[in-house]
Amino acid sequence: MYTSVTNRRSFIKKMAIMSAMTAAATMFPGVMFASEQEQKLPKGGNLDWKKAPCRFCGVGCGVLVGIEEGKAVAVKGDPKSSVNKGLCCVKGYHSVMAMYGKDRLTKALVKKNGKYVETSMKEALDLIASKMKETIKDHGKDSVSIYGSGQWTIPDGYVASKLFKGCIGTNNVEANARLCMASAVTGFLTSFGIDEPMGCYEDIDHADVFVLWGNNMAEMHPVLFSRMLDQRLKRGVKIIDFATRTTRTSMAADKSILFLPQTDLAVANAICYEIIKNGWVNKSFVEKHCNIKKGITNMGYGLEDKYKFTDKPEEISFEQYKEFLEDYSPEKVEKISGISAKDIKYMASYYGDPNKKIMSLWCMGPNQHTRGTWINNLIYNIHLLTGKISTPGNSPFSLTGQPSACGTVREVGTLTHKLPHGVVMNKKHRELAAKIWDVPVENIDPKPTYHTVEMFRALDRGDIKFMWIQVTNPMVTMPKLKRYRDATKKEGRFIVVSDIYPTPTTDIADVILPSAMWVEREGMYGNSERRTQYFEQMVNPPGEAMSDTWQLIEVAKRMGFEKQFYYKEETHIEEIYNEYRRHHEGKKHAMAPLEVLKSQPGAQWPYVDGKSTQWRFNAKYDPACSNGEEFHFYGKKDGKAIIWQRPYEPAPEEPDTEYPYWLCTGRVIEHWHTGSMTRRIPVLHKAMPHGYVELNPNDAKRMQIKTGDNVRLTTRRGEMILPAAVNERGVPAPMQVFVPFFDENMLINDLTLDAFCPISKQPDYKKCAVKAEKA
Amino acid sequence: MRKRLGIISLFVILFIAFIAIWNYSYQTGREEAYIPIENNRPIPIIPSETGVFKRSGYALEYANMPIDKNHERSLKTYYNNRAYHGAPPSIPHEVKKDRNMGENSCLKCHENGGYAEKLKAYAPVTPHPEMVNCRQCHVPQKTNSLFIGTNFPKLTAPKAGVNNALKGSPPVIPHQIQMRENCLSCHAGPSAPKEIRVSHPERINCRQCHVINNKEIKDIGTFIRNNKYD
Repeated sequence: MYTSVTNRRSFIKKMAIMSAMTAAATMFPGVMFASEQEQKLPKGGNLDWKKAPCRFCGVGCGVLVGIEEGKAVAVKGDPKSSVNKGLCCVKGYHSVMAMYGKDRLTKALVKKNGKYVETSMKEALDLIASKMKETIKDHGKDSVSIYGSGQWTIPDGYVASKLFKGCIGTNNVEANARLCMASAVTGFLTSFGIDEPMGCYEDIDHADVFVLWGNNMAEMHPVLFSRMLDQRLKRGVKIIDFATRTTRTSMAADKSILFLPQTDLAVANAICYEIIKNGWVNKSFVEKHCNIKKGITNMGYGLEDKYKFTDKPEEISFEQYKEFLEDYSPEKVEKISGISAKDIKYMASYYGDPNKKIMSLWCMGPNQHTRGTWINNLIYNIHLLTGKISTPGNSPFSLTGQPSACGTVREVGTLTHKLPHGVVMNKKHRELAAKIWDVPVENIDPKPTYHTVEMFRALDRGDIKFMWIQVTNPMVTMPKLKRYRDATKKEGRFIVVSDIYPTPTTDIADVILPSAMWVEREGMYGNSERRTQYFEQMVNPPGEAMSDTWQLIEVAKRMGFEKQFYYKEETHIEEIYNEYRRHHEGKKHAMAPLEVLKSQPGAQWPYVDGKSTQWRFNAKYDPACSNGEEFHFYGKKDGKAIIWQRPYEPAPEEPDTEYPYWLCTGRVIEHWHTGSMTRRIPVLHKAMPHGYVELNPNDAKRMQIKTGDNVRLTTRRGEMILPAAVNERGVPAPMQVFVPFFDENMLINDLTLDAFCPISKQPDYKKCAVKAEKA
Repeated sequence: MRKRLGIISLFVILFIAFIAIWNYSYQTGREEAYIPIENNRPIPIIPSETGVFKRSGYALEYANMPIDKNHERSLKTYYNNRAYHGAPPSIPHEVKKDRNMGENSCLKCHENGGYAEKLKAYAPVTPHPEMVNCRQCHVPQKTNSLFIGTNFPKLTAPKAGVNNALKGSPPVIPHQIQMRENCLSCHAGPSAPKEIRVSHPERINCRQCHVINNKEIKDIGTFIRNNKYD
């Protein structure tokens, strides 16, 4: 039997203690932690502490980097940062070690006759520029492309967009964040008309209940999870882990509910059914601030090349919506979801209770989902029906996994359809961008080209001939990887890769550029709570390594765009940021000035009248609200958010007799993404040296497999052998297996399916059918 | 005769009715008394992961507990009480009743700890209170003399304070954790050896910052790529 970590008696006891130490409690959580850490440092050292956001995930912890004799030698949490209040996770504490791996790329490498030859940076950049010009001349502007990432700093992404969209005139700009939070973006855009969370991390200090939707926060967002655990000690909050796999988070949660893959759609609808049935709907909120719509169903899964989809929203009445929900009573959903009607009612009762503030948190579970936009919409439905939104503690919160997925990809807009402000399809948005970029407005193509999966398919087909990949490792992360790896090796393709270490992606490059990472250069990241954070250059990059921003500027100049790329080497980051801010002027999205970012651990946009906005759409906190009401969802023209009627639909490839297991992929706490940085940190590598496949103990027993035994996994895309992990870090549900994707020697993505959400175009890495057997 | 038959049949009917009603009420009574066992759909427990959170309910108490400097344990006594690093500690005090199971003797002190006046020490807290046959592994030491000496090479135990990868970074876990998944039982409270007592027990999710790097089985070494460019 699973028992809760806190029972009522010990909670009452704790409350008594807490009342006795209220003064001390205000100091919690660990505002003193970094200074305590400092006490333990050897005395007489000559450390110079400088502030930066952490290099790794989207939480965006403030860290202080200790510099000694030109080297980064230590890290502590920044006690002044409201994000982490002085605490980091194991990756953050060791992050500076990622700069000092022995095989750091320090020289440009150019492939000549199948061999990599060291060249000067100048020669390599000349080659890239001439190759781009030649490709455009021979095959048109849409044959060159850039693929970046949510680890791009804001200036990196900005100059990439300006060069490709503004100067060259192609919308072939994508980023790995398409694989990571595109569904969150389309979720926000369809429900609210404007991207990114309305709330902020401070919601954690106000909420009474936390529902984690397929989100192993204890490992993936550990610092925020610590803040929740801290609130549980202080205030006895409830943490509900709603997931498909038992994890460290389930162990720490008050309740763990396991559902079958893809049925989260049905459960979310069942929660709405219960809310309406029990009269928990906040009627005045829904009437004043919400519209109800439905879209096209049976959209398909994007498995075929050149797949296209456009939704056709249609307004419906509350009665029609209610009728639709009749199919989702807890008793009906129980049958497909594998969770009891009682557990559905249990969750619904917390959402419905007007006296409970509730926070929903999610990341890759709902986002990497062939109905990713839908499940994002459905979670917002729950919060909109109950009016539990945009107020402290009532917060649907979409987390991100990369340090600047929000800051660069979503805000700068390094996706095919996006511009820094708005979308390429909108004439006004194009005009604004063209004006600031100093290019003719005709330069900006009004038609989006390829989203990430389609971009690699285009490379395979030969529609794209040139691709520049920066700060990301698609030859580990693309789904159905083999097709796209083979594509890059085809005749007539030219691939440039900018990175700091050799990876499976540099393996397929024609030119490898050594990059300067993180605090080896100057830049900004934007985290999940709309916080933009600045970091200065603290150490020198090794060898000829150069920042991605400057690499792009050098190439742009060589291509004849000196006028647009007028930046001076010493001040280019400041110049770019100031230019970028002009795109976001106005109360809805104003960015803080650079002096502010330099002086404090970040600021949250909209930054209006010298103040960050913590809760958007709420007139009390958000100066952009202008309808005279308590709430104003100004992303939509009529100021109303949308409740979407979205049904349950099965996954594209469900287990059958031949491939009887579900395959889910994901991360572990020690390694970040493809491990190209964290595996070079000895502490982390030793803690988690290689990939594995997790099996349910009963399945393992039936197949006579124990931890360490070789297991053969086979899908319709390929097969591979991995060591088994039974009862280790996580336990998948029966007939499901889990594989982390960090290990480049066990490329699990050779097996995954490249089906994606038709609206967001984000692939689903969490669900496909696999056969597992003892090897 | 007819009258008598009528009375008899009336009684028979009454009797049958009584039986029927009594039977019905007995059955319904049984039904009400029966509480169906609900299928709670328990989630599996992950042995290496659960322990971390086990004593977290006491974390605030640990954080606010004054330190009794006069009765602290040291890492040296902690290691000396074991045949080798990782071996179950022996019982360094007198045990009254030899036939008791753990729950009504050992666990009285060793489940949650506390000061023992007689021994002038704080009772160490067991990381695995669910295993109640304590003396299956833990034995008292009744004499100091040996039957015959031993050449057993005692494994060197990891040292405290030297396990950081960077200046001031969180130390790694230098030991195996089987049977010792419950961090706070040894690393927090008055019975924790002073060298390894955690300064921040209220953080709960210990392994968010402290990862296992034990060299006892084999040193894993650093990451090396298969593919090289020269």
